[in-house]
Amino acid sequence: MTYATKWSVPNSSSMKYNIANIQSIYRTKRLIKIFAHFFCPTPLPMRDIVVLSGSSHPNLAKSICRHLTVEQGVLASKKFSNGETSIEIQDSVREKDVFIVQSGCGEVNDNFMELLIAIAACKTASARRVTAVLPLFPYSRQPDVPHAASLTGAPSLTVKKDQYTYESAPGTPKPLRDDTTDVFASTPPPLSLMTPSANSSTDLLSKATLNNLRIPTGGTSGKIPSLTPTAIVTNSAAVNIPSVDAYGRTESGYKQWVAQNGTLIANLLITAGADRCITMDLHDPQFQGFFNVPVDNLYSKPLLKRYIIDYIPDYQSCVIVSPDSGGAKRATSIADALGCSFALIHKERRAKITKTSPSASGSAQASPMVRHASASSVVGNSATMVATTMLVGEVKDRVCVLIDDLVDTSYTITRAAKLLKDQGAKKVYALVTHGIFSGDAPNRISKSAIDKVITTNSVPQVHTAAILGDKLEVLDVSRILAEAIRRIHNGESVSMLFDHGW
Amino acid sequence: MSTNSIKLLASDVHKGLAELVAKRLGLKLTPSEIKRDSTGEVQFSIGESVRDEDLFVICQIGSGVVNDRVIELLIMINACKTASARRITVILPNFPYARQDRKDKSRAPITAKLMADMLTTAGCDHVITMDLHASQIQGFFDVPVDNLYAEPSVVRYIKEKIIFQQAIIVSPDAGGAKRAAGLADRLDLNFALIHKERARANEVSRMVLVGDVTDKICIIVDDMADTCGTLAKAAEVLLDNGAKEVIAIVTHGILSGKAIENINNSKLERVVCTNTVPFEEKLKLCSKLDTIDVSTVIAESIRRLHNGESISYLFKNAPL
Repeated sequence: MTYATKWSVPNSSSMKYNIANIQSIYRTKRLIKIFAHFFCPTPLPMRDIVVLSGSSHPNLAKSICRHLTVEQGVLASKKFSNGETSIEIQDSVREKDVFIVQSGCGEVNDNFMELLIAIAACKTASARRVTAVLPLFPYSRQPDVPHAASLTGAPSLTVKKDQYTYESAPGTPKPLRDDTTDVFASTPPPLSLMTPSANSSTDLLSKATLNNLRIPTGGTSGKIPSLTPTAIVTNSAAVNIPSVDAYGRTESGYKQWVAQNGTLIANLLITAGADRCITMDLHDPQFQGFFNVPVDNLYSKPLLKRYIIDYIPDYQSCVIVSPDSGGAKRATSIADALGCSFALIHKERRAKITKTSPSASGSAQASPMVRHASASSVVGNSATMVATTMLVGEVKDRVCVLIDDLVDTSYTITRAAKLLKDQGAKKVYALVTHGIFSGDAPNRISKSAIDKVITTNSVPQVHTAAILGDKLEVLDVSRILAEAIRRIHNGESVSMLFDHGW
Repeated sequence: MSTNSIKLLASDVHKGLAELVAKRLGLKLTPSEIKRDSTGEVQFSIGESVRDEDLFVICQIGSGVVNDRVIELLIMINACKTASARRITVILPNFPYARQDRKDKSRAPITAKLMADMLTTAGCDHVITMDLHASQIQGFFDVPVDNLYAEPSVVRYIKEKIIFQQAIIVSPDAGGAKRAAGLADRLDLNFALIHKERARANEVSRMVLVGDVTDKICIIVDDMADTCGTLAKAAEVLLDNGAKEVIAIVTHGILSGKAIENINNSKLERVVCTNTVPFEEKLKLCSKLDTIDVSTVIAESIRRLHNGESISYLFKNAPL
């Protein structure tokens, strides 16, 4: 109204008729605007939103800001000389909707503390709402056997490449003994059996992986003796009280008195003042339940699906493979969505077979090898383990797509690829949401049977890309995260992102 | 069958103080295991049952990877909590982030408060600390905090190792005046103060001495020594004003960054720290360093806390 009169002041003396006219036009325009606002709300400008970036993944935050068309807030993070983190937020956050992007990678603990301090700083600076955006959630997985790759994983890379094998050394298990039928005989026989390969490779393997283990070797021929357990405790709970070792592990492998960090991490975020979390492809969906605040778990599935459809030739005939049984659900949902067939690699880690004795192994279908660690070479917790890998499903002459949510050491995925190639797979793609690729992993992948690795930029991939080159394809998740931030900020539904991606 | 006895738990990294305390109490440390996986995440497990026991977690956090230590500590506390310990007491002789205890700039975090909240969230029921940078930090906690003093141990050290009749107590900044004055009263000595203007954190600009130090042995008293820039400058100021020699006694010898270099190049006669912060390896690099053992104080406080006795006796007296 005031606009109208002001604007028309110069004309007012001569054209009074017009003033009334203009005023009425403006009045109707405003009414229309008000109605329009009710019926089809126009997107509000991102005024009171502040996106801050932790030091873990500044590029992702930058890219999110670009998609949101907002200026990134300045979060100055440095360290005092004694190692304490100092945070300074250089933009006003009073009554703002603050999003702090920090991925759980690199120096995990440092980055997590930085995030907590930044959240607390925003809260004390009167931010209206603080949302932690954690594309990769720290401490979201608790591996049952922490970092015992030397026992259950693939060979280390200390041997030369030509001598190197990704053989899954223990073959497919068959019932161990007749008297253990209650456990093993009920297992359905796998469709395809992984057979132990020639002596040379297994011999090398034994040198490579089990350098700290003692396998009683049968002779100088290099033949790997397959060890059959003579006694396996299957009903120990019924028979006797399970013995517990120095670190509280029972024979079943169940560890007592072990920290479960999930709830703690969730509580710490809430304590610091986070009002909401955004994350992506949580390792355990149950993790959401640890929080007392809303957690938006976004999915990379639409992104991966898109990639398969667009870039994998003749994708309908490919096989979606889950490299372990834990990820079967994730893989089947993609297989269902694409109408592809599905295969599963199952890795069994059976703990503690008390006694072993060598037996002949000439046949193609050998009994499962038992890796028996002598007491002196027991590393930490994995005293005696049976690791067996089997493939369920048909992959011969087909393109295989391995799907996993997280690859760290890449032992699992490289072993899976090798197994697939051994079973006659034409090509092996690996689709991974969070490619941490710590330590030797990029080198291991570049030498492995995997033809192409597709991951997302939920953690920085610059280092990996430098090593893997063309073998690596990085998908961008900043659009999904940006759209989720936009929707959350505007109070719109996020669920559309679950199915369709962005 | 629970005994509700004292159980001592220490992180793997710095066991020095914990072992001294355990020895003093005639106990063994509870076996525990901290592992880090390839991404740096911490895995922790306790080696025996702690159900219904009175648990004391001793954690020495010095310089370097403070955040790692903090997360480790939180995980340890949480593990004890979920393992049904009756009471979890955290012994943090050097409270991390104690200096970020106020909102000194716009939008600055009060990290000390965050630390307090996190410790409570993780599940600790009681906190024992020593010479808090600001005793108000006790108010950040919802659980009881016992702030022990290194003063009795320091008094003993001065009486035993320094000709204290010729000494004067000097506070290197106005904030520490109360601490220094208290010590001067205990020893019946004179007291001087250095006023400094601090430009930025870990940097010193200008220093003015208040008081007469001519021909005196100056004992600079402070709660923590970080890069030791302040101490070195203070020593120069004191010597310029006619002091005979300068000794620094600090509770928490964090000694980060160029601290050792600064001490070696400075005119300080001696730098004495308590063993709240591990600095064994620095002791070898610098002959000017000396240690005051406070494990007896901590052990006694554990014993008293477990038995429900008063701790205030320890504020004035150091057990031998």
